Amino acid sequence: MSTPLHQDPRLDQAASTDESLLAAHDKLLGKQPDEKGRYKLPPLHLLFFFSGLIFFAGTYLNRYSGMFDPRVYNENTLPPSGETVVAKLDPLVLGKKQYDAICITCHQANGLGLPGAFPPLAASEWVSGSDDRLIRLVVYGMTGPMTVKGVLYSAAPMPTIGKVANSQYNLSDDKVAAVLTYIRHEWGNTGAPITTDQVAAVRSKEGDRKPYVEAELLKLN
Amino acid sequence: MMKNGFFFFIGLLAAFLLGWSSIPLLAHKQLGALTPFYDDGESSSFPTRPPGVAARGQLVYADLGCVACHTQQVRRPDFGSDKARGWGDRQSVARDYIFQGRPQLGESRIGPDLANWGVRKPPLDAAAIAQFLFSGVVSGAKAVSHPPFPFLFDDRPVDGEVAADALVGLAEKTPRRQIVPTERARTLIAYLQSLNNAYEYPEARHVAPAVAKEGAPK
Amino acid sequence: MSSTSTHAEVTAVDTAGRWPVLLLLASGLGWLVISGICALIASIQLHSPTFMSACEWFTHGRVSALAETSFVYGWAANAGLGIALWVLGRLGGSTLRAQNWSMIGTLFWNLGITLGLGGIATGDATSFALLELPRYVQPLLVVAYIAIGISGILAWSGRRTEGTYASHWYAVAALFLFPWLLIAAQTMLLWSPVRGVLQPIIDGWYVQSVFSLWLAPLALAGAYYVVPKITGQALPSYEFAPLAFWTLLFVGTMTGGRHLIGGPVPAWIPTLANAACWMVLFHYIVVTLNLRGALTGGGTSLAFISFGLLAYLAGAVLDAVTSFRGVALVTQFTYFTTAQQQLALYGGISMLLFGSIYFALPRLTGRPWNSGSFVRSHKVLAMVGIFLLVGSLAVAGLIQGTELSNATTTFGEIAGRTRPWLLAVSVAQVLLLIGNILMLVNFLRSVCVLCCSGAASEAGSFRQPTTMEVHAS
Repeated sequence: MSTPLHQDPRLDQAASTDESLLAAHDKLLGKQPDEKGRYKLPPLHLLFFFSGLIFFAGTYLNRYSGMFDPRVYNENTLPPSGETVVAKLDPLVLGKKQYDAICITCHQANGLGLPGAFPPLAASEWVSGSDDRLIRLVVYGMTGPMTVKGVLYSAAPMPTIGKVANSQYNLSDDKVAAVLTYIRHEWGNTGAPITTDQVAAVRSKEGDRKPYVEAELLKLN
Repeated sequence: MMKNGFFFFIGLLAAFLLGWSSIPLLAHKQLGALTPFYDDGESSSFPTRPPGVAARGQLVYADLGCVACHTQQVRRPDFGSDKARGWGDRQSVARDYIFQGRPQLGESRIGPDLANWGVRKPPLDAAAIAQFLFSGVVSGAKAVSHPPFPFLFDDRPVDGEVAADALVGLAEKTPRRQIVPTERARTLIAYLQSLNNAYEYPEARHVAPAVAKEGAPK
Repeated sequence: MSSTSTHAEVTAVDTAGRWPVLLLLASGLGWLVISGICALIASIQLHSPTFMSACEWFTHGRVSALAETSFVYGWAANAGLGIALWVLGRLGGSTLRAQNWSMIGTLFWNLGITLGLGGIATGDATSFALLELPRYVQPLLVVAYIAIGISGILAWSGRRTEGTYASHWYAVAALFLFPWLLIAAQTMLLWSPVRGVLQPIIDGWYVQSVFSLWLAPLALAGAYYVVPKITGQALPSYEFAPLAFWTLLFVGTMTGGRHLIGGPVPAWIPTLANAACWMVLFHYIVVTLNLRGALTGGGTSLAFISFGLLAYLAGAVLDAVTSFRGVALVTQFTYFTTAQQQLALYGGISMLLFGSIYFALPRLTGRPWNSGSFVRSHKVLAMVGIFLLVGSLAVAGLIQGTELSNATTTFGEIAGRTRPWLLAVSVAQVLLLIGNILMLVNFLRSVCVLCCSGAASEAGSFRQPTTMEVHAS
């Protein structure tokens, strides 16, 4: 009974009863007036502190939330305005993809074709020549023999590539333009790029038609 | 409010519901219906679904607790050294994970990030990964850099031909025995090889506007 | 039953309601030791990666999950519930009701944990942080928890006084909120999983809620009771306690997204978390002001509670500071976050619970703790151990973070540079493990005396408490 408080590490003595603990703190919550009949005002410094935190948090949230947009991953940026702008593809990249998927079987990765079977694209007068001729040749394809760099090729027809009737590949205009730009850029070729609009113009002018023969194309320039 | 049990209960409920709706619910509303991104140029959509064997491998990855040491999330190029370490050229975005059964984002980088491990440079083939998982030693190095997981392999006598995927380098020591990856090891390896977040989505591009699409590889 | 009402400090409220509480506390301390062993293995693997890795049950990932799960659901849950039930019973002024429910619930809860840990070891872990327990034990946990909690809720609703006290709020909040949380997290992550990156977002919310809505309230319920009981002083700044309580509940859960800074989630999720980290500081400051009496008092309980209180505050301040993206750039993904987690869970929650247990057990058994030297040793080992654990992890984390941001440093070099500090972490885990074994043995011996000799209570060693006066603050 006479052990001094906190002497024994095995037992911590309690200083107050549960009932008085409850009563004392209930009173502190300040809903009822104290002995002198006054309501207590809570200390203001903590309220100021709390408001400060709210202000800081609100400012931070406003500054770095990216307007709560799910497309914003960098907190320093704002959401993209309007529609998502899909970056324009480099036609050379897009063209190479199409070439590797379609043309490469016959014309080969080096653009030289297969002698006696498939004509070369490298240094070909058809590739560097008339835009209209090249576009029509690829969009609609060609049947019958043709002469490239002085050599006659008649083993296989050029397939229909563009988005026209009976096409084997249905490539959109921009892809056709890209692949033409690509072959004019590779293997030492130096032709001007072909635009999507040029391809679209040819397609709207010619409509759906059967593949060309060499003579028809040679009439164009 | 503190004395009235009913109001106290309502307060608790409100606290729970506010927390729940401010993060899980709002995030779900924004990201729950993310669709793959169709790229006209590629004529296919991204991300691609992982092959079934890789999806099973993710379960092995999860049950071994690999997530305790490896993250699978790349931070944007101007935030940390992730790009410089070759972990990925762009920030990981939510769309990367939509086909993953249980994304293993992770919170600890005791080992490297694995988000693009399938296309790491230099690439590791399946046999090299198996060797690494078995011994914990990168081929060529001396010290153990990863805990070895021999339990993913069968040590069994050679019965007829040596198995095609048996680990090499052990035959000379014990010619009558071979160490062969188990089914779990094979799926885990397939999973690791499938990790590839290289495709750039519009939202990922928006983050790093200076980086041109595809970077025109030569 | 042997106590009499002449000694008001130990009454029938304690003695007749002791078994559910003792069962919970004993289970908690048992899990704490098991968790300590797993944590020791995991910490050794950090500097010696081959250690036990050949055994599939103890890969680093699994053994860390075992350590974390047994710590939170084994130790903190059992001990916290034990303290909450005891405090609610005492403040309610009558013997705990529905004791059978509580004891059966405890048995099933621990059965569920045991099965679940076995599942994690053998490969059924879910790989969600703090929700690693396999799916098949999760419903059992919900039901068992509700069964345990009924006693506490009955003691709260059947209390003798009209008014409530801070311990009431925190304990009842923990009892009600955890099942909601667990059900919500299970549903969205395990039963009907949400897609993709939403899983880590929701898991982050769950992990934070487990801390803010469950473990912290359980620990505070005990601390708010014990501190004024020992000091005999009404709590200073108590007018703010309700606001602090609601701040924790409403804002605390929103801080979970801070781990996703720079991650594949929209920027507003970490930003909201960072803002919340600062707002919730109000809660921590008020709690520290309320309980500051503990810092000046002596004795075992108050020593633990003082340490726990300061660690609780320090953890929150560190969370707020590292929530800035510039700081997180270094500390994220490193041992530093582990240090913060250990500071909050071990330094904060566990130490507060230890303090409450040291105060509660003599009241439950009617006699002082069995061994004073064990108590003193545990106190020293726990404090030194936590200092060493958190300090070494923090230093290792800063080294790791600095080196990670230098793209030319290899992981081998980082491992070499952090190795001395990771060795210190293992030493700390050994100290903590020894201390906790001492506490478990001391606890069991104190309770065994009760079973064996039964009758002879040492009620005379308890002083008669007096009435608390409210001083003008």
